Parts: sequence; C-alpha cells; structure tokens
Amino acid sequence: MSQGPAHVLLVDDEPQLVRALTPALSAAGYEVSVAASGAAALTHLAGEGCDAVILDLGLPDLDGKTVIGRIREWSEVPIVVLSARDIEQEKIAALDLGADDFVNKPFAVGELLARLRAAMRGRERRFAARAQFKAGDLEINFADRRVLIQGQEIRLTVREYDLLRALARYAGRVVTHRQLTAAVWGGQAQVEAQFVRVLVGQLRQKIEEEPASPRIVLTEPGLGYRLIPEDEF
Amino acid sequence: MSGRLSNFMAARRFQPWRYGAAFGIIAATTLVSEGLYRAFDTNRLSMVFLAGVLITAVTLGANPAYFAALLAFAIYNVYLVEPRFTFTFGTPEDVLVLLVFLGVAMLTGGLAGRLRDEAQRNQSRARVTGALFEASRRLSSASEEDVIRLHIVEQVAAAAKGEALMADQGQVWRSPRVEGAPEAAAALDFDALSAAGWTVRQVIADGGDLGLSAWRGGPGEAGDAEGERLINVLVDLGAAAVVRARLSAARAEVAAASRTEQLRNALLSSISHDLRTPLAAILASASSLKTFGGQFAPEVREDLVATIEEEAERLNRFVANLLSMTKLESGALSLERQSFDVVEVVNRVSERVGRTGATVLRRLEGERFLIDGDPILLEQALGNLLENAVRYGFEGGTVLVRVSDLGAAIMIEVQDEGPGVPESDLQRIFEKFYRSPASTRASQGTGLGLSIARGLVEAMNGSIAASNRGDGQGGLVVAMLFAKDMP
Repeated sequence: MSQGPAHVLLVDDEPQLVRALTPALSAAGYEVSVAASGAAALTHLAGEGCDAVILDLGLPDLDGKTVIGRIREWSEVPIVVLSARDIEQEKIAALDLGADDFVNKPFAVGELLARLRAAMRGRERRFAARAQFKAGDLEINFADRRVLIQGQEIRLTVREYDLLRALARYAGRVVTHRQLTAAVWGGQAQVEAQFVRVLVGQLRQKIEEEPASPRIVLTEPGLGYRLIPEDEF
Repeated sequence: MSGRLSNFMAARRFQPWRYGAAFGIIAATTLVSEGLYRAFDTNRLSMVFLAGVLITAVTLGANPAYFAALLAFAIYNVYLVEPRFTFTFGTPEDVLVLLVFLGVAMLTGGLAGRLRDEAQRNQSRARVTGALFEASRRLSSASEEDVIRLHIVEQVAAAAKGEALMADQGQVWRSPRVEGAPEAAAALDFDALSAAGWTVRQVIADGGDLGLSAWRGGPGEAGDAEGERLINVLVDLGAAAVVRARLSAARAEVAAASRTEQLRNALLSSISHDLRTPLAAILASASSLKTFGGQFAPEVREDLVATIEEEAERLNRFVANLLSMTKLESGALSLERQSFDVVEVVNRVSERVGRTGATVLRRLEGERFLIDGDPILLEQALGNLLENAVRYGFEGGTVLVRVSDLGAAIMIEVQDEGPGVPESDLQRIFEKFYRSPASTRASQGTGLGLSIARGLVEAMNGSIAASNRGDGQGGLVVAMLFAKDMP
C-alpha cells in the first residue's frame, strides 16, 4: 500500500449517488476518484491505479462482473461491490470472480466504510503470511493446526479445520459456497451446498457458545459465510 | 368440389343406361344398313355394323362395346346373312365371315373401349388430384383447429356421398346432415359406430392421437376402394393440418407468455432500480451528514441536503406514476371534471421542471385555453412530457412548450433539441417500459412516463402523438385536448 491517504476509485453512473458518497469518503480520509463507466474505471486503474475500488454492478457500458474479471486478470486491488438485494446470483458471481465484499443498496455510509476497511485489511493480512489468527475468543495457530477457544484447545476434524482456515483467511468478508467447497474438498470437487451447511453446523457446535445463534461464523443467506474478524467483536 | 368427386365415383359403377344406349346405336346401325341394302342391293354391310360397334366403344366404354358386338353379330346374322331372318348358316364361308366379324368387332370394340376408359380414368385421376389440391389449399389457409376439422368432415362427407364426423377429446365435428351417433363418437366408441354403419378410423399424425374420423355413404351409396383411398388421404391431410395448427397455437402461446414475462421483468427491474437509486442517494446523504456532519464545509452539507430533497421528490413522482399506472390499468382512475385554464398548468409544470436546471420556453397562440378535465392529471401528464424532453434533449438545450387555441381543441406541443426519435420507435415510445435503444445517454428513464402521459390524456378524451421536427432538430410530442364549449 502506498503512503499517504488511501486512494479509492468510485465506479458509479448515478450522479446523485456519487454526489452523496464523495464527501463522506473524503471525510473518512480517502482520496476519491470517480468513474462513470466500466471502461473509464479500467482506464483509470491501468493509469493512476488506486488502493480500493467501490463498484456499482449496474453500469451503462459493461456488466459489473466483466469489470471485476478484467481487474482480477492483473490486479489484486480490493473491490467492494454495490448491488441490489434481490439479485443474489449476481452477487455470488461477483464474489466468485474475486470481489472482496458487497453492500446492498440502499446502505448507510458507515456500513460501506466498514466493508471497505475490512476489504483493505483483509488483503494486507492475506499477503502478510501470518502464523496466527485471533478473533475474540477464537485463536488459530496455522503452523501446528491448533484451534483454541478462550485459551482451551478444541479438536477439529481435517475438514472442519480447512473450513475454519478458509473463513479466517478471508475474515470479515463473505466466502461463497463455491469458494469454501474449493478450499475444503479441492477445486474440482462437485459438492452440494448441503455438505457445506452440515460442515459449518459441526464447526459451530465446537466453537460457538450458542450454535443456534452464532457469533463467530455468520451466515450470509444465499451467498455463503462470513467470519467476524477480531476488531468487530 | 363435391360435384367433381361424385363424377369420379360414378365412373366406376354399373350403369344400365349405357347398355340401352349401346342397343340404340346398334338399332340405328341396323336402320342405316336397311337403307343401304335397299339402295344398293348389297348384303356386304358388315363394315357398317363394325362402325356401330366402334362408335359404341368410343362413346360408352369397353363393356357396352362387347355387348354391342354380340348384338351386331346376332342382328347381322339374322337380318343380312342368307337365308335371311333365320339364325342358320348357309355356307361354311358365311360361318367364317360371321366368326371373323364377331372377332374383329370384339377386338376393336374392346380396344377402343379400353382406350376410352383409360382416358376417363386419367380424367378422374386429374379430378382427384384437383380435389386433393383444393383440400390442401383450404386446409393450409385455415389456422384454427375447429375450421380445419370442419373442412375435413365436409370433404370426407362429399367423397363418401354421405355423412362424416370427427371426434377428439369429447368434441365432435360433423358434416351438416349427421344426426345420430355423436354420443358414441364423443366416447370414441368404435364398435358402436361400426354397428351403426359407419366406417371408422383412428386419426394419427406425428405419432399423436387426434381422435377418430368416421363416414358412411348415403342411402344406396356403396363405397368402393378408390373412394376409400381418397377419403383416407383427405383424413391424413387434415390430420397433418391439425398438428400444424396446434403447433402454431402453442408457439403463439409461448410468444405471448414470453412477452408477459418480459413486461413483468421490466416492471420489476424498473421498480427495483427507480426506487432504489434515489433511496440509496437519500440514505447515503443522510448517513453522511449524521456521521461527518461536523466536518463538512457548509456548501457540502447544503449539497447533501439538496440531494435528499431532490431524490425524495423524484421518488414521490415515481410513486405517483406507478399509482397512476395501476389505476389506468385497472380502470380505477377517477376523473375530477372541472373547467380550468391549461396555461396555468403549463406554467406550474414549466416552473417546476425549470428549477432542475433545464431551460423551458413557453409560447401561447390564441386567447382562450379553457378545457374540461382534471388539472392534477394533466399536470402529471405534462410533467412527464417535459421531463422526457429535458432528459432526451441535448444537455443545456432548451425545451419549448407551445399552447395553441385551435377553437374546438387546445394543442400542446412539447419540443426538444435532442437527436429525436427513430421513425420505427415513434409508436413504441408510448408503450409501457419501452425505452428507445437510441436513448443510451439517459440512464434515468423508467420507460413509464410517456405511457402514463398517454393514458392520462386519453382518459380526458384527448390524444397524444410523437413525431420528429422536420429539420431533424429534436423530437416533438403533441397532445390535443377538447376545448370547453363556448358558453
């Protein structure tokens, strides 16, 4: 990451939304650039570059998913997607293509900023190859595959551990069913979403205080799961 | 058609009158011979009788010709061969001549008759072909199953010289004269129909069961093999036409369903987009103010508040349009009938639209602009027209509203300086959710405005139409409203 204020590229074709978001992003300490189309966004990224992208999925020229795909061909910049609540498939596709997170429209600015922070931090963490993950009562030692809750070691099966590790790797953001399947069963496996659900249920039995109302591994209905990172407890 | 078919059928049956006619021809021949005998005193007249047999063959066919040959042989023998008026033979030479005569008469008569029969069969084949061609032409021009089925029974009844019916899934189609048997037909009861004298066959096309077809000849009409063949071909032809009709009906249904589906999707995405976008802007602005209000410069705060206000107004207009749309569709629109000045409404709308930064020019032609109608609905309709003109005109261009008093009508023209509307879209832009593909720049449109404007204007008995300005400089929408009668 570059020094100085982080640079955010806001890709949206609705002028009123841009007008509403720009001052808030500036006030939150970001430097803001605006692109009104997918093509303009790609040009901007290739030229000046930026530290994070806020991308509206409904663009006039390119499909938002296409934009994500093009960015991910060469850049690991964090991407937060703005999307309508009712188009689940779009969101899953966007996440599978490499978007870091999404915010449902309409949203409060605070929510967008939190997602943006988590996405930027998540990228840092993943590329820092840390040996340990800590979130509230949960502690994972990647080196010796040990998991502790409130300092007490608990025993996980191989798959439960792989699942937890995948969630921790992307802590704070949604991990889709397909991404979890790839992490636990391998990329080529044909596994039903049902298996992931059962495995998450088993994991919750071991790490959640109240498995019925989980606080660590949260469900994003229709999309996947999200592990709450330490600073949001 | 039925005449041609019955001719064809008749050619193949025993007909006594032909033999009577053959008898007549030979009798005439005999009279001619008698004349010749008296005139020239010769009894070598076998050629005259041979000619009679040939005439019979050519005019009446092979079988009457054989009959004529035998008759001529007998008469010739009795009447001309010595001793005359006996059936005995004088000399072996006479016997030989007579036998040769009989042989030649039979042979030439048979040959000529067969030639004639062949020619007639060809003719009747041509008639069958013609009948089938006619049937297929009529069947292919019909597109409804009922019509096709009725054509089939009509033609089958004609071919059978009697009555015909078809039945499928409880429905029965019958030729005009059918009285009994429909119950058995509706129940697809083959045995009961057969017992009642019907010839029954199943109708199958493309592997699908299309019910049954049955026919029976009228009183004294016995079917023959060729007639049966024709009927079967007719039924098969009809079955294929029924299958085609069903397929095209199914295709029309699918097309209609997909149009409904498209409309529903357009409605959903319009509501989703047009409600959510202003909501997103309002929520983002309000939450920005709440979180960072203190840090913002006064002009930023004002801008955010203005965004909230504008977007709330936009939402309000969208909801009003949706409501009008629903009312227009369900017929629940209630009109407030009152006299009002159109110019007042035009002024109100122009000012409101002008506040959003567009330049709206007004021009009045005439003096009296009173109409009977609902000012609130007209305001909404005009608002949609003006917003549309601003949206699709060039940025920074002007919109001209001209109101003209035409006496019996008030004409309102809304004119922009944009690229205009492609000719092919001039009708469609008033359709619900239709947005001209040419309108890519304006992503804010809902595709509702013009269709609602038309609905509202028509509710006031007015009319609305779109065109392009002659000089290629922008679009023009003209609304006509009836002026209030002079007191």
